[in-house]
Amino acid sequence: MESQRCKGARDLLPDDMERFRQVEDAFRNSCLNWGYREIRTPTLEYIHLFTAAGTLTPAMLGRVYSFLDWDGWGGERVVLRPDGTIPAARLYSENLSSQKVARLYYITNVFAFEETGAENREKWQCGVELLGDCDRTSDTEVIALALETARSLGLPRIELKLSHAGILKALIAELKLDSDARAALLDEILEGNWQAFTSVKSKNRRVLDALSTLLKLKGKSSGFLANLKAMPAISKGVEKEIDGFAEVTTLLDTMGISYAIDFTSIRGFEYYTGLCFKITSGGARICSGGRYDNLIGLVGGRDIPACGFAFYLDAITAMVKPLSLQKAEKTVSVKVTKKSRSAVKTAFELAASLRTAGLTAEFDFCGRQLEARWTVDIQVKPAGFILKDVKKTTQKRVKTAGEVINIIGGFSKLGK
Amino acid sequence: MPKGKLLARTAGFLNAIGLGFDDYNAGTRIYRMRSQSVPGLLAKMLNERDIPVQVAVGNYDFGICSSDWLQELQARYPASRVFKVADLGYDSAGIYLACSASADISAEEMAGGATAWRIVTEYPALAEAAACKMRLKRFRIFPCWGSAEAYPPENADFSVLRASDEDALRSLNLKPVSKLCDSNACIIASRDSLQAGDFSGLLKRFASAADIKDKPWRKPDKPAAIIDNGLTPGAPRGNVWLALADGHQQVHTSAFLEKAGIRMEGYSRDDMRRRPACGIGWLSIKVIRPQDMPQQVANGNFDLAITGRDWLLDHLCQFPSSPVAELADLGFGWVRIVAVVSEEMPADSIGGIRELISRGRMVPLRIATEYVNIADKYLRDRHIARYRVIPTWGATEVYLPEDADMLIENTETGQTLARHRLKIIDTLFESTACLIGNKSSLAAKGKKAKIEGLIKLFREAAGKK
Repeated sequence: MESQRCKGARDLLPDDMERFRQVEDAFRNSCLNWGYREIRTPTLEYIHLFTAAGTLTPAMLGRVYSFLDWDGWGGERVVLRPDGTIPAARLYSENLSSQKVARLYYITNVFAFEETGAENREKWQCGVELLGDCDRTSDTEVIALALETARSLGLPRIELKLSHAGILKALIAELKLDSDARAALLDEILEGNWQAFTSVKSKNRRVLDALSTLLKLKGKSSGFLANLKAMPAISKGVEKEIDGFAEVTTLLDTMGISYAIDFTSIRGFEYYTGLCFKITSGGARICSGGRYDNLIGLVGGRDIPACGFAFYLDAITAMVKPLSLQKAEKTVSVKVTKKSRSAVKTAFELAASLRTAGLTAEFDFCGRQLEARWTVDIQVKPAGFILKDVKKTTQKRVKTAGEVINIIGGFSKLGK
Repeated sequence: MPKGKLLARTAGFLNAIGLGFDDYNAGTRIYRMRSQSVPGLLAKMLNERDIPVQVAVGNYDFGICSSDWLQELQARYPASRVFKVADLGYDSAGIYLACSASADISAEEMAGGATAWRIVTEYPALAEAAACKMRLKRFRIFPCWGSAEAYPPENADFSVLRASDEDALRSLNLKPVSKLCDSNACIIASRDSLQAGDFSGLLKRFASAADIKDKPWRKPDKPAAIIDNGLTPGAPRGNVWLALADGHQQVHTSAFLEKAGIRMEGYSRDDMRRRPACGIGWLSIKVIRPQDMPQQVANGNFDLAITGRDWLLDHLCQFPSSPVAELADLGFGWVRIVAVVSEEMPADSIGGIRELISRGRMVPLRIATEYVNIADKYLRDRHIARYRVIPTWGATEVYLPEDADMLIENTETGQTLARHRLKIIDTLFESTACLIGNKSSLAAKGKKAKIEGLIKLFREAAGKK
């Protein structure tokens, strides 16, 4: 049968959704425990929110789903949300800016065109934004929160990589390129083409050398940043950025959080201004984030320091093991073989009791084989139940719902 | 093969490499041709702008057009299955971002977020890519059918338009801001065709042009007559703005205005200006394409316009809550908007078409039309389950039966349709020229009485024999 599904779109089946909710629940629990509160922004936003300089790169803007709304004769187009952070920044500046510090989280879908249709064009993110707090401890806070969430999911080989948009941007500024060449270079770098530096024509050789060293080396401690600072081409402006970076890494060292400094590890950091980070599991990217102190100003609010991150749900759900096996242990199939009115009534009553006792009760009126550890056959004459343990292939005749619950092991609140 | 500005020189080029078509000339009424010299080579004549799209979707193996239309398609759809085979070396021009010669927009101002820049263009995808690249914080693109140069400075901050060089821009009273790309006549090909079939014979012929010493087709054309785009002294605030049509509607509109007793200066074939004078102090006039008028009235650039009801309805199908309304039927320019199929189609009504579709034929139904939004609504309302609307820029008759199954077209006498062996299966509505206006202009204190006066005048003129 030819599929009627849109190219690049994806159906989430019950098994997928179980894993999806598992990741979501772990993320939500961590956030709530750390004092973050949930928000949800609309799917449609005006395109200018994303064209406001520095929010999305031209290449990313070239992949948004945009159209004129039914009242779009004014020419202003709307987009299907291509990013989670920018709408969250808008929401904050329009509604919550009187709060000195806002800790927000969201679970949202984002849309971006992908040519082959092999990758999803609709992706899901779990995001966190910590707004209004400029202290370096907030960078450390969001990193620690992200790591805790990743660990709570039991993901293998979790690694933290750090980079710093402020240092890269300050060094690029030192190249003293004309505005067109600088914009072109930045576009390449943002798309992850680090080779772009090699073809740059700048009189400032020493800065180019510093950049190429920066990109070649992978640091493992704050000492690496001290070495970087001591290099000859580093100006006062760049030094200040390195100091800011070092403050965070020193804190991470103190807390015993290991990391690798790799300036090539992050791409698409258009709106980031300071520290950027990425978390991988088994080498695959599962989370990225960083500091974006200019973003709230760019979307029309006051200049407010902010940082945050997003987990990539699609990548993570493929990695987690479903809990559905555990669930089958607590599932009871309530079976009616001879369908009489009183048998059906008894079945509904029993199922209600089982559910109250924290078990999952699923009806079987048509003799299907269900994936359940337990089966209860409703008997009318004489009234009672036949309880089967599918796993142990044993069965027992019992008289009351309370007995059924006792045997299965629900937390019975019912009388005998 | 292209209609219009490229036709004569493309014909010269094809003749020189031995691929000439007898009927490929400006006066032709035959749009579908068969080569005399190369067996099996068939050609159709389309609007230049449609050619890259038609090659990309696989309806044609090769096409000849200006490379700007190819670039426009690729800017919007980078994965298009079409690419440039060769430049033909004629019709060289550039696509420019330009502002009015009278405007003074600094780079800092452009980069700032204080203004939502209005950009009018026939090249919306190229314009958008440029605006993103320049990191304009806020901008609105107004796609237009033509006459983009007429909009700045009153109704747009920038135009993205084609011009042979910067001097040509200046002669339009515009100032170049940046050049977005070069443009040349070129041969394009379908990626899939070249990957699957053997077209070496044809490609060799194309390449043989390099050996021809004398290339008369490359000689520059006489520059096309341009419409004076000079500014008139600043119109007083509170003036009523009226849009009038250029192109073939101009003659009829001009005659109507004369009948209404409005004396125009600069709105005749011999003396055409973008901003003609009319002797009424509170009325400012600009000349643009009729297709673009409803949206320009909706967004407040104009209070009134004289356009066809067909274009008003197409606008209202796209934007049902638009503030534009018909204020007076002016009676001239009568056409019918009809659904058309090939004479061979075994159906005589839209119900018959639906019947054929339900039996698994023509799924999806392909509809070629200039009236994209009317067609969309028509098919939705007629419960056609699966259809595709193919937007065209004119010469739509030639699409049937190979490249489309149905057309939504306008026709006056039906003769052109009959000549192309097509039949009408439904009439959607009748269209005449009408005065359209923005409802909020009608409610505006300083404009209400003036506009009501004009409506009365126009209604009376429409009633005169």
